[in-house]
Amino acid sequence: MLLGTQLRRLREDAGITPDQAGYEIRASRSKISRLEHGRVSFKHRDVADLLTLYGVTDEQTRAGLLALVEQANAQGWWSKYSDILPDWFEAYLGLEAAATLIRTFELQFVNGLFQTQGYARAVTVLGHKSAPAEEIDRRVSLRMKRQDLLDSPDAPRVWSVMDEAALRRPVGGPQVMREQLERLIEAADLPNVTIQVVPFRRGGHAGAGGSFTVLRFRQADLPDVAYIEQLTSALYLERRNDVDHYLEVMNRLSAEALTPVGTTRFLKEIIRET
Amino acid sequence: MTSGTPPADGPELQDPPDGDHPTFDTSVAHVARIYDYWLGGKDNYAVDRAAGDAAVQAYPDLIHSVRSNRAFLARAVHYLAAEAGIRQFLDIGTGIPTAPNTHEIAQAVSAASRVVYVDNDPIVLAHARALLTGAPEGATDYLDADLRDTGTILDRAAQTLDFSQPVAVVLMAILHLIPDTDDPYGIVAQFTGAVPAGSYLALSQIASDIDAKAVAEARDQVGRYMPVKQTYRSHPEVMRFFDGMEMVEPGLVPVPKWRPAPAAEAAMPSALWGGVARKR
Repeated sequence: MLLGTQLRRLREDAGITPDQAGYEIRASRSKISRLEHGRVSFKHRDVADLLTLYGVTDEQTRAGLLALVEQANAQGWWSKYSDILPDWFEAYLGLEAAATLIRTFELQFVNGLFQTQGYARAVTVLGHKSAPAEEIDRRVSLRMKRQDLLDSPDAPRVWSVMDEAALRRPVGGPQVMREQLERLIEAADLPNVTIQVVPFRRGGHAGAGGSFTVLRFRQADLPDVAYIEQLTSALYLERRNDVDHYLEVMNRLSAEALTPVGTTRFLKEIIRET
Repeated sequence: MTSGTPPADGPELQDPPDGDHPTFDTSVAHVARIYDYWLGGKDNYAVDRAAGDAAVQAYPDLIHSVRSNRAFLARAVHYLAAEAGIRQFLDIGTGIPTAPNTHEIAQAVSAASRVVYVDNDPIVLAHARALLTGAPEGATDYLDADLRDTGTILDRAAQTLDFSQPVAVVLMAILHLIPDTDDPYGIVAQFTGAVPAGSYLALSQIASDIDAKAVAEARDQVGRYMPVKQTYRSHPEVMRFFDGMEMVEPGLVPVPKWRPAPAAEAAMPSALWGGVARKR
């Protein structure tokens, strides 16, 4: 996904059509499209040839992009969940695993990275009303497994801003919600996690458009990716103009929200009231 | 969270009052975001990149200049922590976090180091609070204040720093934002006056007498995108900030020449004066 979008950006910047690119690596136009959407595995030599065609000559940049080939081809831990994972979300898991900074804004629900099992189950049931119990279990288990990221050796920094609504809506009932709020306080104590709440009393805020995530990667020449989830698909934006806009809204939200210290105090207040 | 022993009500004061939204304008360039762009960061917008590029066009050594300023910050803080034994830092004009940051360098030498970051930009502060979280043994705090509000800064910093013990006051590439009419010398003297003997001042300032023509042109280019007046100062003018203090070797020099780590660094061009001095 990450490598694919980079290849597309580089190809477009170089003014090269998918047909021309396909010709260069002895493949079809649709192969290029599949590569750029991360649907097929990459060959080191093909990527090297494409980079040359796109005029990427700087050794460091080439090395950085070629290093992504292995990463892109490696099977993620989530591959065994492929039966319940839509393509559009599988791509997100790949990005999440590669990110160094994950910034999220949540309007309705607590972010998946911080959900307790009880809360995750309640959210999953809401989204998959007619799914058999077994499938619900697998979906919850996938979400729990995803949280291993938070204390992995290469853990990204996660900076999450939540609307008070996400904390007040008692998903799964008051008991589940109380445990969820306690989990948030614990998570906020992790050295790589920052949680901020935008309380109702602040009035309207910059995030009225809905929940979204901005992912940042270590490589200097990889742009941030804004991720917006929809019901049956997701948007991945990596054009600078789009990302700038999401980053700006995220920055305003972070400045409008309570500080991390104030947020922990606020969470404790809500627990008392829940 | 942000510190081992946060002052009882200190950080609470940082929450803006209800209904009072912080104001920012992303249609004009912003000094911290342009700086982030020059440093290779990703927290900047089109207008900042345009301003940054225009300035670099006018003064091609500018990128070296700002990067060597960041390296000077790292060397100066390391010197203060490792050689001068300083455990308290007041870093005013924090900017958008760029590793290594002051608390990381200081707390690598002594985890108990206490650092107060001060900035007047709400977005910079949000980044500082989220990303500049220090060692649990030490303390890291964040103040929303303008450099000119010396009383506010000193009062609030006193909740985290002990002003009966030596403090390093760190003012990196910020004094050019204080015009002479706002009494920059008086401001700096307020800080050096508030700290005890054995304290330090570490400072850098954009020069008016290094590559003067190109640097002035770069300033005017940035000025087309950002309504902020910038005042650059000469070597004697910058020396005045250290009045009555004892300069640490090698004195006030272009920032790459201040105790360069690889010797090659010293040869890099830079249009900033930098120095460290001890209060007698």
